[in-house]
Amino acid sequence: MSATGSGGRRAEAAAANAANKALQDALAAENAAIFGYGVAGAYLAGARQAAATAYWNDHRSARDTLAALLRARRQQPVAAAAAYRLPFGVRSAATAVSLAIFLEDGVTAAYLGLVAAGDAGLRAFGARAMQGPAVRATFWRGSSLAFPGMPPAARRPPRSPRPPRSGG
Amino acid sequence: MAADPTRRRVLTASALAAVTAAAGSGCAPGRPWPWANPPRPAPDVAVLQAAIAAERGVVAAYSAVISAVPALAAAAAPLLDQHRAHLAQLRQRLVVPAGAPPSPRATQRARRPAAPVPAGRSAALAYLRAAEGEQAAFLLRSLATPMTPSLAQLLASIAASEATHEALLRPAGRRR
Repeated sequence: MSATGSGGRRAEAAAANAANKALQDALAAENAAIFGYGVAGAYLAGARQAAATAYWNDHRSARDTLAALLRARRQQPVAAAAAYRLPFGVRSAATAVSLAIFLEDGVTAAYLGLVAAGDAGLRAFGARAMQGPAVRATFWRGSSLAFPGMPPAARRPPRSPRPPRSGG
Repeated sequence: MAADPTRRRVLTASALAAVTAAAGSGCAPGRPWPWANPPRPAPDVAVLQAAIAAERGVVAAYSAVISAVPALAAAAAPLLDQHRAHLAQLRQRLVVPAGAPPSPRATQRARRPAAPVPAGRSAALAYLRAAEGEQAAFLLRSLATPMTPSLAQLLASIAASEATHEALLRPAGRRR
């Protein structure tokens, strides 16, 4: 490597910052999901309420894991907000299920961010961690996605090449 | 700006001298051309080739199950479509430099014969679940090799999709 010592150190610090930021983003997503399941659970009954309770606990333990990872990196874990703005009105079992899907998709995407930001260790951690929310989203949806965590545009099958449009 | 005629004459003379020396010595002198060796494939190439070969195996497993157990076609078809989407995304990213040798690991995996589909609905479901689980685990293992962040995200997302397939293929009531 021809990089000077200070340049190498700066690159290392930038990589560590990116990884810390991605870990904080994942923690923020888990915090929001814990809040959201509290809302969703109130509108669900029977097996779906039992699932919501179990999933709420899954998010709480994932939150604890992330907070511990951040503390081990000498980072102060981000605090949860007292309340989060709901993406739509939740007043029925159907909207509660939509909220649960919204929460799990958000958490899945946050872990996918960690996959891109970290070293091989955090990459594997993020990839493993995103399977839980992806499977829970599948439970609520009743169907699976080809590319969980990816933005909707990336979920579509690749398009056949088209002539470039003018004025891109 | 016109070139300095003196300088040009000197360059011509030295080039001629080099060519004469090369012709005179008979055996190949000098360095080989820098582009004589094809460029080494990027680290992503070997990972992609292995992932493509493995994903093709999963597609083959689904096709075999659908033709052996037609009752499963309705449940398996949407999952097979998603595997085809995985394969298309992986193939889209594969850029192999011209002249590069094929990855031996990828060809080995592709040549491995698939196990026959077991008879019966629940055995065929278990067969697909095993294929999904193996593929997801294979992709997670491959994340240990160096690769670009965007390829890491694609492999992680595909592995998560396969984990959700495995959950959907479980008998009802055992989804968690």
